[in-house]
Amino acid sequence: MSWDGIAPGLRSFVVWAMDVSSVPILVYFVLINSSLLLIILLAYLEFRAQQRRRATAVSWQGAGLAPGVSLLVPAYNEEAGIVMAVKSFLTLRYPRHEVVVVDDGSSDETFARLEAAFDLVQVPRELPHEIPVRATVLGIFVPRDGRTRLVVVRKENSGRSEAINVAINAASEPLVAMIDGDSILEPDGLLHVTRPFADDPTRMVATGGAIRPVNGSRVVSGRIVRVEMPQTWIPRIQLVEYLRAFLLGRTGWSRLGGLILISGAFGLFRRDVVVEVGGLDPGSIGEDFELVMRIHKRMRDQGRDYKVEFVPEPVSWTEVPVTAKVLRNQRRRWHRGLWETLWAYRGMLFRRKYGRVGWVALPYYWLFELIAPLLELFGILIVPLALVLGVVNVPFAILFLVLAYGYAVLVTLSAMVVDEWAFHKHDRWRAIWQTIAASVLENIGYRQATVWWRLEGWWSSLRGKKHVWGVMTRTGFDEGAP
Amino acid sequence: MVGGALLIGATVAVLGGCLLLVVTVVVVRAARHSRTRRDQMLLSPLRAPLITVASGEDDDGSAAEQLTWATGVSRTVLDGNIVQLLTKIRGVPAEQLVRVLEVHGAVEAAVADLTHRSSVRRARAAQLLGLAQAGHTVPLLVEALRDESVEVRNSAAYALGLIGDAAAAGPVLAAIGLPDRGLPAATAAEALQSMGVGISEVLREGLGDENARTRMVAAHLSGQRSFTRGLPELRHLLDHDTDLTVRETCAAAIGRLGRGEDAAVLARHTLADEPLSLRRACVQALGELGDEGAVPTLAVLLDDPDPRLAELAASALIELGPEGSGALSGHEDDPAVRSARLMASLQKASA
Repeated sequence: MSWDGIAPGLRSFVVWAMDVSSVPILVYFVLINSSLLLIILLAYLEFRAQQRRRATAVSWQGAGLAPGVSLLVPAYNEEAGIVMAVKSFLTLRYPRHEVVVVDDGSSDETFARLEAAFDLVQVPRELPHEIPVRATVLGIFVPRDGRTRLVVVRKENSGRSEAINVAINAASEPLVAMIDGDSILEPDGLLHVTRPFADDPTRMVATGGAIRPVNGSRVVSGRIVRVEMPQTWIPRIQLVEYLRAFLLGRTGWSRLGGLILISGAFGLFRRDVVVEVGGLDPGSIGEDFELVMRIHKRMRDQGRDYKVEFVPEPVSWTEVPVTAKVLRNQRRRWHRGLWETLWAYRGMLFRRKYGRVGWVALPYYWLFELIAPLLELFGILIVPLALVLGVVNVPFAILFLVLAYGYAVLVTLSAMVVDEWAFHKHDRWRAIWQTIAASVLENIGYRQATVWWRLEGWWSSLRGKKHVWGVMTRTGFDEGAP
Repeated sequence: MVGGALLIGATVAVLGGCLLLVVTVVVVRAARHSRTRRDQMLLSPLRAPLITVASGEDDDGSAAEQLTWATGVSRTVLDGNIVQLLTKIRGVPAEQLVRVLEVHGAVEAAVADLTHRSSVRRARAAQLLGLAQAGHTVPLLVEALRDESVEVRNSAAYALGLIGDAAAAGPVLAAIGLPDRGLPAATAAEALQSMGVGISEVLREGLGDENARTRMVAAHLSGQRSFTRGLPELRHLLDHDTDLTVRETCAAAIGRLGRGEDAAVLARHTLADEPLSLRRACVQALGELGDEGAVPTLAVLLDDPDPRLAELAASALIELGPEGSGALSGHEDDPAVRSARLMASLQKASA
């Protein structure tokens, strides 16, 4: 069939599709942008308060009420950086913390490196079974010096969630921090993120800290000595995504009392609460999100007075994907996890007892996080088609695109202002121009690709396809690493 | 037509907003750099005498005298630096720097600033009064504990802690539980810790407060400072408090300051029907208490199904000396006992 034969039918279809969808899409567009504006406003209010607090901060070294923290580090084939990471975790400024590393059946030298570096000896200890785990624990080790607060648990390979559950069982402090082995913590990061627990010890159950990409920065012996922009555009664009997510999104939600997502790269929880809800769900793809949702549900079901807070101070630095392949796998996983968790907790929607979580946060995540890529894909397909078929006013379409993407840039720039005002981590002027460029370039190709990948993740879940964890290729960044 | 105009208007507004934000980023950075340079420039002639005073080498007082001559913006910048230094130094150098602040009128200005409309100014004023050890301002600082701004309440408590007047302990502890204007527990605890032994009665009363955070802070500090006056209340809270965190804190406090008869009090809460975290806290407290009356309880717990509790019990028995170690006989092959013994030997070897 020739183009001339197809064109009239296709044109009719496109006209019909645009007629039917124009009003709902316009309403959606207005709603999503208004809600973003509201979150920016809430984040602004929170940052104003934070800025006042920072301007009048008094030194706090955690004496007195600082609760002990167990840093839980799941490690799978991390031989390259594990020793440096553990050393840097052990030397964080905090009055009482231990490091619990769980070697999740690594096939490389992860354990051997730890054993040599810390002169480990096996302890004939049995771990508590407060959180049930399937995998067999092969051994528990501690440093021979009897002083270094490190526990290494070897177990059969069974995935990150189970590794963390084993670490929770092995942890002895009242707070547990879940942290990736390749993350870098700010020297005072624990002091920042535990402060809400010390200020409100009977109500605080979880806090999350801001996470930033470490790519491009100068790292020596597990410490960042100079913050730099990533050298390529894919991580640079992720940097602006992180700025938006942490400096506006999480801060705004925290202010509203509806924080339902704490990043897996760094989250701090009351151990007894995590145990009470059963730990991480090994069957969940979005296990961190799922855990926070389970905590909210449990607390509200029991009518308990509790708090989940976000700490906007940069706490943890992590390496973000530098290739499209790894990024694709990550985004597929994230969106699949989002869908599965939202679906699992759909019963919390619009229920009075779940308060702002059920009435505001969850509906927002359904409407503007889960469904957004679907509508965006519709726009990506229909607008060029309409332009080709000549069924749309070209200047009008271009103006609409400029408005839509201009708004996205505006949101990113708002986050940049907050960052510059409150934290100013990047010294160089060049970093400003690169961040602005990244916020524009994000809309040309990157955003469309991530829309597709997110839908791939959702689709694979709907088809019941088993999720395969990809390998996050680490380029390595520590100049002090062996 | 209307839609088109609206679209154009919205697009222009958004792009204008973007431009404005870019300008804001640039201005914020440029202003910060410029302020830093200005401060460095203004401070440079005063840096040498400031270091001399701060390092305690100003024997004849000439450097401190030189600092008092600063005027205008230089004086403001210098006072800010002095306040920073006062958080780190003590003794004669601190007294000399406080004297400089007094000559500059900074202490007097801080008293006036306690009622300033800016919460940042009020908070900084409170901190300065604390760092200057301005004991005469305690009533004003106590009043500031009820300020609408949490920064001011925090700073007032910090200042009262620095001044160390035990008369302020009651208001500080009470401020934790103020509805909607509560003082963060960590700040209150740090301030109270600096107030000496005169606060024991206040802590005892705090153990009966209706707010759980207040009770927790009072229990924690009673244990830290070994104030035995509150022991009956601690025992009562361990038995009856509705908040598990408070009960655990009481257990730890009793372990630190309890008497022989408290072994039985703690032992009651190691039973299997109590929350596991409380049972563990009580076993650790029994170890800390160091009373041989705990041996039978701890010996029974060696067979507990929770391996951590069993290991904690074994460790506590080892800490109790020969009588405790004797109770381990028959359990030599238990993982909990072997693990506790290994940990004890490693720690002993490294001591």
